[in-house]
Amino acid sequence: MESHSTEILLRWIVLIPLLGAAVNGLLNRKLPRQVAGLLACTTVGISFALSIVVFLRLLGMEAEHRFLTDTVATWIGYGNLSVDLGFAIDPLNAVMALVVTGIGFLIHVYSLGYMAHDQGFQRFFAYLNLFIFSMMTLVLGENLLMLFVGWEGVGLCSYLLISFWFNDEANAAAGKKAFIVNRIGDFGFLIGMFLIGATLLPHLQGGEGLFSFQTLQHHTDLLAPVATVICLLLFVGATGKSAQIPLYIWLPDAMAGPTPVSALIHAATMVTAGVYMIARMNFLFVMSDTAMLVVAIVGAATAIFASSIALVQNDIKKVLAYSTVSQLGYMMLACGVGAFGVGIFHVMTHAFFKALLFLGSGSVIHAMSDEQDMRVMGGLKNKLPITYWTFLIGTLAIAGVFPAAGFFSKDEILWKAWSSGHHILWGVGFLAAGMTAFYMMRLVAMTFYGQNRASAEVKSHIHESPATMTIPLIVLAGLALVGGWIGWPHFLGGGAWFEAWLEPVFSGGHAAHGAVVHSAGEAHVAHDVAMEWTLAGASLAWGILGLGVGWFIYTKKLATADSFKKFAGGFPHRVLLNKYYVDEGYEAAFIRPGFRLSKTVLWKVIDAGVIDGLLVNGAALVVAVVGSVLRIFQNGMVRFYAWSFTIGVTVFILYLSFSG
Amino acid sequence: MEGFLFWFCGILMFLGGLMMVVQRSAVVSAVWLVFSFLCTAGIFALLSAPFLAVMQVLVYAGAIMVLFLYVIMMLHGPVLEDELIPSNKALWPLIAIPPAAVVILLVGWVKGEGLRTMPDSIAADFGTAEHVAQLLLGRYLLAFELISIVLLVAIIGALAIGQRERKLPWK
Amino acid sequence: MEITLSHYLLLAGAVFTTGMVGFVIRRNAIVMLMCVELMLSSTNIVFAAFSRFHGNADGHVFVLMNFAVAAAEAAIGLAILVEIFRRRRTVNVDDFKTLME
Repeated sequence: MESHSTEILLRWIVLIPLLGAAVNGLLNRKLPRQVAGLLACTTVGISFALSIVVFLRLLGMEAEHRFLTDTVATWIGYGNLSVDLGFAIDPLNAVMALVVTGIGFLIHVYSLGYMAHDQGFQRFFAYLNLFIFSMMTLVLGENLLMLFVGWEGVGLCSYLLISFWFNDEANAAAGKKAFIVNRIGDFGFLIGMFLIGATLLPHLQGGEGLFSFQTLQHHTDLLAPVATVICLLLFVGATGKSAQIPLYIWLPDAMAGPTPVSALIHAATMVTAGVYMIARMNFLFVMSDTAMLVVAIVGAATAIFASSIALVQNDIKKVLAYSTVSQLGYMMLACGVGAFGVGIFHVMTHAFFKALLFLGSGSVIHAMSDEQDMRVMGGLKNKLPITYWTFLIGTLAIAGVFPAAGFFSKDEILWKAWSSGHHILWGVGFLAAGMTAFYMMRLVAMTFYGQNRASAEVKSHIHESPATMTIPLIVLAGLALVGGWIGWPHFLGGGAWFEAWLEPVFSGGHAAHGAVVHSAGEAHVAHDVAMEWTLAGASLAWGILGLGVGWFIYTKKLATADSFKKFAGGFPHRVLLNKYYVDEGYEAAFIRPGFRLSKTVLWKVIDAGVIDGLLVNGAALVVAVVGSVLRIFQNGMVRFYAWSFTIGVTVFILYLSFSG
Repeated sequence: MEGFLFWFCGILMFLGGLMMVVQRSAVVSAVWLVFSFLCTAGIFALLSAPFLAVMQVLVYAGAIMVLFLYVIMMLHGPVLEDELIPSNKALWPLIAIPPAAVVILLVGWVKGEGLRTMPDSIAADFGTAEHVAQLLLGRYLLAFELISIVLLVAIIGALAIGQRERKLPWK
Repeated sequence: MEITLSHYLLLAGAVFTTGMVGFVIRRNAIVMLMCVELMLSSTNIVFAAFSRFHGNADGHVFVLMNFAVAAAEAAIGLAILVEIFRRRRTVNVDDFKTLME
């Protein structure tokens, strides 16, 4: 009885936010603001509570058997193709479920304050609830197809929320960009899914769900020959959703949406979907060394690429956006070196501190009358004390300062990169970590220290945010501080409980790939502990150094920063400020040729020539000729028609009786 | 006995149909059709389908033909001047082709296949109202419900067409 | 002489053909509708005969469906005729040629 009732909760975790979205979306303005806000927060709150219940039940089970499934119905049943509409939970997506609903709940509460004066208050919460629904479908889906439904759902919500203030054309364009770039990734994902289906379908027994993760895991031997191709295609999807090179370009623009959206969707949850998907499919990825290497290299490259751009950006949200891209690169790096558990650990800690940073920046923007340019900020430390202190904790966390959350996860990623033998990737990650510390301190210094550079009018309006906004900040700051402790590593006397929790999910993968991933780790344990200490110390020192340099330059020696702008003719600065001209490059390489192709070939030749000339006019001509012949028969005589009918039937019967 | 009844009902049924076709007056045609339908009911009875026989009398010979007669009366029983044409005698062979072909085919088919004898014994309740009702309200329930919708649509359609003043809501 | 399935089928075929010819040669729309009824009725005989042949009463259900369809068809067809008669004062189908163009 008890077990049954817990499993049935899974569908409600997903469906209750949908209920909120439906009520808010359908009634919209007819619903009073208080009711709409309360409803949205309550539904997500219930989801969170239910997630905790399910989590506790998992916790009470034996480590090897932590798996609950809730099949609602058979979605597709045809021959031996069978896909269930069902949900399942194991340690991996339990973590994701808690993070999504928990952070989601905090951000819902925060939005009550942030969006209080907005026209589209109810619409906003409807979208936000819809997002939670889609994200939970993605996370809790029992098979790859359910995951894909959620995957597309969160893409849609992302689009709706980025262009939430659609009156401004730039916002609408940013939404479209996000959607289109994501579609490119989804295309790869879809092809990958087709390939899985085509490979597996002929071998399935009746009753086995085609895309069910369980089935996929049982049949890895069948998938082995095409594992590399499948993994690379799935990874294309992940580069779109999780903003990796080369499809990361949509994420910085996505900051056009309201700040809570940036925090929830474009930092804490949705963008980690790609990482989650790769972790989910770990048993497939570990079969292909090539795919793993590609994931790791793309991850590391994204990490350093994005953090170098973040060094010089002036928009507070843009800095955080590039920071997010680079942190996602870290997660991919972790997955790529086989440390899926650590990647998910970083997903969680990153969700804490990046949501905190975004919400903090939202609080700043709110106080500065919607100003986002850091050059006109400064000196907000005393005016916004809560925002300042929580923001500072977030900064320490992302910079990887002990004992904040970021230290444990980031250090663990770097350690795994090193211990699996990818020393170059470790170096890249290490460099990016220093840059991260530097640009975050630059952000803090430009925003909170020194003199305020805003106009007098704006200055007079600066105020600390209301409680609905500061309480989530405080909660998240707490999590950013202590949230990493559950992954306290062995060499510091901890139990690495987080990894142990995820161990059953990834053990299958380790068994297949262990030789590569852990060769170094298992052979030289004693040596490794010393190495681990060294690396941890180095990255801690490196992070503090980055923070220190950032603080020094941007509070004491502003001249140094200016001199960098002029360094080498200002060329490096210009390149970074313009984000390596990637957008311009894409425009020149794909968009303009696309336009040119449309204007010349597609329009003049295909549309005007073939479609209009040949097909449309040609069709009309054929109809006219045939019609003039048929007119003879179309004489309006009912009995003639009837007679033709009988002739037709007779001929038909004759044909049937003589054709055998 | 069965043989006699079959020939009796069958020939009369066919003749009834033929008379309906060749009679100039619509009223007389309709009466011949009723006669033919009554004979059809006899054929149903011979085929161990008592329920169908009763329904044939009630629905066809009764309800539907009453409707026809009613309409004929309402339209003053029109008799058309030039009935039974084509006046152009050259068209007669054309009209004769399809029925001739069908008849030849049928006869040829019977010759080729030989006669198929009916099974001698049949369940005692075969074709009774209860037996058919079991099917109709069991296995064919959905079709049964759908046919009620067909009838409903027919009623609405007949009403809509027959309305004297076109006071449709959208006009 | 024993009455076989073939007898019933031939009877149905003959009646059907009568209705078919009638439909083509008559001009009175009401009689044409009656011919349609005759054809429908003859198919019912085929259903009933095969039901008896196979000892399976499913065919009876189809006959009942056919009754309903015939009734619906008669109702609609006659309603249309009445409406046409009101406007044109005739039921001669050869006068109904507006469908031509």
